[in-house]
Amino acid sequence: MNDSESFETNLDQGEVGFVDYHDFISNTPFHFESGGVIPQLKIRYETYGQLNAQKNNAILICHALTGDHHCAGVHDINERKRGWWNFMVGPGKPIDTRKFFVICSNVLGGCQGSTGPNSINPETNKPYGLDFPKLTVRDMVQAQSLLVDHLGVEKLHAVIGGSMGGMQALQWVKDFPDRVNRYIALACCAKHSAQTIAFNETGRQAIMRDPKWNEGQYDSEDGPFGGLSVARMMAHITYLSDIGLEVKFGRKRKQADRSREHFDVEFEVESYLHYQGRSFVTRFDANSYLYLTKALDRFDFFETEADKNSFEAIQASGLVVGFDSDWLYPPQGNRDVVDQLLRAKKAVSYVELSMNYGHDSFLVQSQDIFQLIQTYLTSQ
Amino acid sequence: MSSAKNKRQVDFQAIAQWVHQGDHVLDLGCGRGVLLEYLKQKKAIYALGVDIDQHKILNCLKRGVNAYQSDIKYFLNQLEPKSFDRVILSRTVDQLDDPGWIIQKSLEVGKRVTVGFVNYAFWFNRINMLIKGTKLNNETYPNPWYESMPSNTFSISEFESFCHNKGIKIHRRICYAGDWSKKQLFLCNLLSAYAIYDLSLNDN
Repeated sequence: MNDSESFETNLDQGEVGFVDYHDFISNTPFHFESGGVIPQLKIRYETYGQLNAQKNNAILICHALTGDHHCAGVHDINERKRGWWNFMVGPGKPIDTRKFFVICSNVLGGCQGSTGPNSINPETNKPYGLDFPKLTVRDMVQAQSLLVDHLGVEKLHAVIGGSMGGMQALQWVKDFPDRVNRYIALACCAKHSAQTIAFNETGRQAIMRDPKWNEGQYDSEDGPFGGLSVARMMAHITYLSDIGLEVKFGRKRKQADRSREHFDVEFEVESYLHYQGRSFVTRFDANSYLYLTKALDRFDFFETEADKNSFEAIQASGLVVGFDSDWLYPPQGNRDVVDQLLRAKKAVSYVELSMNYGHDSFLVQSQDIFQLIQTYLTSQ
Repeated sequence: MSSAKNKRQVDFQAIAQWVHQGDHVLDLGCGRGVLLEYLKQKKAIYALGVDIDQHKILNCLKRGVNAYQSDIKYFLNQLEPKSFDRVILSRTVDQLDDPGWIIQKSLEVGKRVTVGFVNYAFWFNRINMLIKGTKLNNETYPNPWYESMPSNTFSISEFESFCHNKGIKIHRRICYAGDWSKKQLFLCNLLSAYAIYDLSLNDN
């Protein structure tokens, strides 16, 4: 019996176009979960669409580990690359800027404008480096909540994120149960597996064993770029999939001439990874990478007794989306989140999408994700 | 109401009668979530549907019904005993691998279980096989064998002897006549086209 209903595909899509970022500065000391304090907090963010009079149409998008606040549109005419989730955010798109007021901010501890380890410590006039307090996903979310307050939003229609962004979405509904209506967490997990921590630690060691890291005290023009690029290259492999790499590169060779030096770039996949490593160091700070990966390793959504009570308090309804080719945060880890929430009688749904792009599938434009997000955000 | 819709939703009213206000209800093989949406409206239930088909889950979400895309066996294994007030298997059982295990597991995770199924021993089916010697092809079985998914058909008498052998208590039963609307009160295995059962383990 074929009783599927058809879905309208919206053909009337536009772009958010040119956007500017803004900085929110809080001069009240910010207290970290660990007890650490910083005197001032800056959060860089972008918004798209308009907050309505009832102030009930705001959606917060949380970015992944190395993402940023720029999730849609372009900053200027010369920018070739659009925001990282441009296919999802815009007029007529699933996160429809004609309907919703969309907020995306750079995380606390990041390095794209928000306060992080490479920000200047006003007390010493030097970058924080390792004096930056120990960071958790809860701290990231607390900082975002100050921005949401600042924007005059009492309750968010939705919090949405993939990977680290998904963990933030989960943390949001736990820490602010009465401030979120619904959440979507894509390619996420309740906690890192030993394997994931192992990958992260290898990346961190690559940075910390680079002599230029110098216990976190380095010039931003001359940092541990070698270590950071190796960390990125390895991590990048975990974001893709065996089949994805095979389809894209296979054993294709960069040079037909194989008579060059033994260990020059030979395969295209090597060249691709080198490029990923090289370009990463121009936009990302090594200390931020250390802090953020460690925050993710520490994340454990169902961990402590105190947390257990707070996850009982969750009111928002949620959608968790796993991807079959994701081996970093595999479907099972996504299901574990949902299974636990269901045992606590929470309103949550689970969808598993079949895509070839591994962990990064949620960043790839596809009709399935498109329909799913659109349907969920506009459902009753 | 079209006849097809009538048949598809024949058991909705009966299922709703057996569900209490605010119950926690799990629908295994929930399809598009139409039944759960109906129960939410009638009985303000906490609803969860399970289906393997991504598109059907999408339809559930569109209706505001929480749904879980999964193999039913995997899902049942995640649940603790008595997690739900009621588990519903409406026109699902004949499409499952290992249906006996799934019914028994449903009885563990749910306090009560509703099973609704087409009675394959309905007289018309018997005559069809006797005279024509072919698989049924009608509204209930719309596709020829080469276009349909495997279907593990069974009869009222087979189902009841399964329940008896496994110590499953039948609290209530409604059998429908060939029009899928009037109740059939006698010779059900021969004269009834569709049946629904309200079950529990013997100890409740």
